[in-house]
Amino acid sequence: MNASSCKVCMLGDFGVGKTSLVARYVRSTFSDKYLTTVGVKVDSKEVALPGCEPVKLVLWDIAGRSALDAPSTSYLRGASALLLVADGTREASLSSALNLLMQSRSTLPDAVAVLAVNKLDIVERWEVAATTLAEMRRSLPVFETSALSGAGVEDAFAEIARRLVG
Amino acid sequence: MIVDATWPAVVQAYLRAVLVDRAHLLLFSFAPGWRLLGVQGDPAVYGLAPYGPEGLQALQDLFVGLPLDRDQDIPFVELANGRSAHVHLVADDDGFHVLLLDAEEARSHERVQQQLVHEAVIASHAKSKAIGQLKDIRDELDRQRSSLEEANALKNALIATLSHEFRTPLTAIFGYLHLVERRAFADATSRQALQAVRRSATYLFALAENLLEYGRGEAGGALLNPVEVDLAALLADVEAMFAPLAEAKGVRFHATLASEDATPPRFDEVKLRQILVNLLSNAVRYTASGEIGLALDWRRRHLVVEVRDSGIGIAPEFVGQVFKPFNRGAQAGCKGAGLGLSIVRRLVEQMHGTLALESEPGQGTHFRIELPSVASIASAAEVPGLRGHRALVVDDDPDVAQLLEVLLEDLGFEVEVLGEAAPAIARAAASRPDLLLVDVELPGLSGNAVVYQLRAQGYRGPVVALSANATTDARDASLRAGANHYLTKPLNLERFAAVVRRAVGEGAKEAT
Repeated sequence: MNASSCKVCMLGDFGVGKTSLVARYVRSTFSDKYLTTVGVKVDSKEVALPGCEPVKLVLWDIAGRSALDAPSTSYLRGASALLLVADGTREASLSSALNLLMQSRSTLPDAVAVLAVNKLDIVERWEVAATTLAEMRRSLPVFETSALSGAGVEDAFAEIARRLVG
Repeated sequence: MIVDATWPAVVQAYLRAVLVDRAHLLLFSFAPGWRLLGVQGDPAVYGLAPYGPEGLQALQDLFVGLPLDRDQDIPFVELANGRSAHVHLVADDDGFHVLLLDAEEARSHERVQQQLVHEAVIASHAKSKAIGQLKDIRDELDRQRSSLEEANALKNALIATLSHEFRTPLTAIFGYLHLVERRAFADATSRQALQAVRRSATYLFALAENLLEYGRGEAGGALLNPVEVDLAALLADVEAMFAPLAEAKGVRFHATLASEDATPPRFDEVKLRQILVNLLSNAVRYTASGEIGLALDWRRRHLVVEVRDSGIGIAPEFVGQVFKPFNRGAQAGCKGAGLGLSIVRRLVEQMHGTLALESEPGQGTHFRIELPSVASIASAAEVPGLRGHRALVVDDDPDVAQLLEVLLEDLGFEVEVLGEAAPAIARAAASRPDLLLVDVELPGLSGNAVVYQLRAQGYRGPVVALSANATTDARDASLRAGANHYLTKPLNLERFAAVVRRAVGEGAKEAT
């Protein structure tokens, strides 16, 4: 049975770990070498949820920061969900992620949005306060993730799948 | 369009070949439902295999959620083999086409630039963070330093206060001892009692001096106050102090003096005495039997001080520690504050001398100190007799005031004593005494203020300030206020007399 496909855009500042999260989720790999993404790289993974039709997540790993620049707006079109990614060690990246969410609403008013705060493996260096995330959870699903260890990664994508199916 | 049918056919063909070749043009034509109709170009360039098991699924994924009946443009798409392409969907009447143009060169160029910018921004963030952390660390260090300085100031204030509290009563004790001894009782019991009082007072004095010396720190006490030292009298003093203590333990005490230099020895007598007292205190404390020897040798303007004992000695591993303050663990069974030898070393350094220690556990200890005389200090000026000179003493402590009165009378002065600042100013301004002795710590208006006001009124006579505060700052403050000399309590009587003579001599010269 063919799963229905849903386009999921990864949005966030550069260097927050969008590519690494996709690599961890799709291929179970991790590289600590930072290589900036230019344009977009598309991967996919099928998710089977209990009691639901399987769903294929088509993951658009979009270049950081300039995601909503004029040429990049085309990357968002047709997306059903957004995985906003922030770096816990850079508080400013959380603001960037939220700004990107607000800006994308004009193109994608109904897209599912989930926030992943990445680099949980170096949580002792985090600038983002736990109370901030607690506050944000009231309006947005928030997952603390580590592309290095894999912590929280499956859960974040599974949440997107659940919300898309449900 | 730049190139059209009017262009020569060969040029059109050439341009098409060049563009297709450079752009690696790849065109897929589809009927609705992604049914492949045809391929132009080489799909392998982009890692695509239209007839493989996966087919063109990756290509289809690019257009998930997008209408296929409208043109679409997706720039810089990284494809399965890592190569980048601009992907275009071109709608047609009965289907659509997907056109790929190579973007690898542009992507590589763009990536290099963005990589540099992003890494610079990330590094800048890390740098800002590190600077912030360093600033926090520096602020914390500043806070700790302030706290330590405050604690140190408190410690110094405490030590100075303690020392002052010791010195004030000791001034009276020594003074009256002096008076009582001068009016000597004949019976031996009284003499022994007086000696015991002097011994204890001397020990207390040494303790107060050690505390103050320790509190001064390395730099504060470096100022030397050289006077002509009567080595025989000094030897007799310390012998009188320690011989009975040694003999009470069954330890023989002997003191010798050799003097081959006719030049009068000049040293900071307080410091020299402090060295002897500390070394002999240790010798007596750690010697249970045998002997203790003190030898002073004055030759070639150097004084060699040797203290030997047959005491418990110091183990080699502790030799380095005995000169550290509060080293009570360095010698087995030791008592006392553990300050003595650290202060000896400091004093020797301040006097530009050398210190050597030889010791063997169970055999005894030998200290050898060599001190250069302060030859640069000019000898005191000759002064005329003091008989008939008038002195005004200003001190609110009646015991000290009376002592000063007696001492000055012994020197031949006619003495007037006042206990308060304001009457003293009026009296001195009116009577113009030959010598003014002022206690700095007067109630209300301080002694320094008295001196300053008198100087401001034109009084030019010699002024000697007296204080229990032995710090350099206190001394400088008095001298700045106009005092000619500054003496600390308890008074060293010889020094007191010398200063008084010198002060009056200076006053006499100035008057002429």
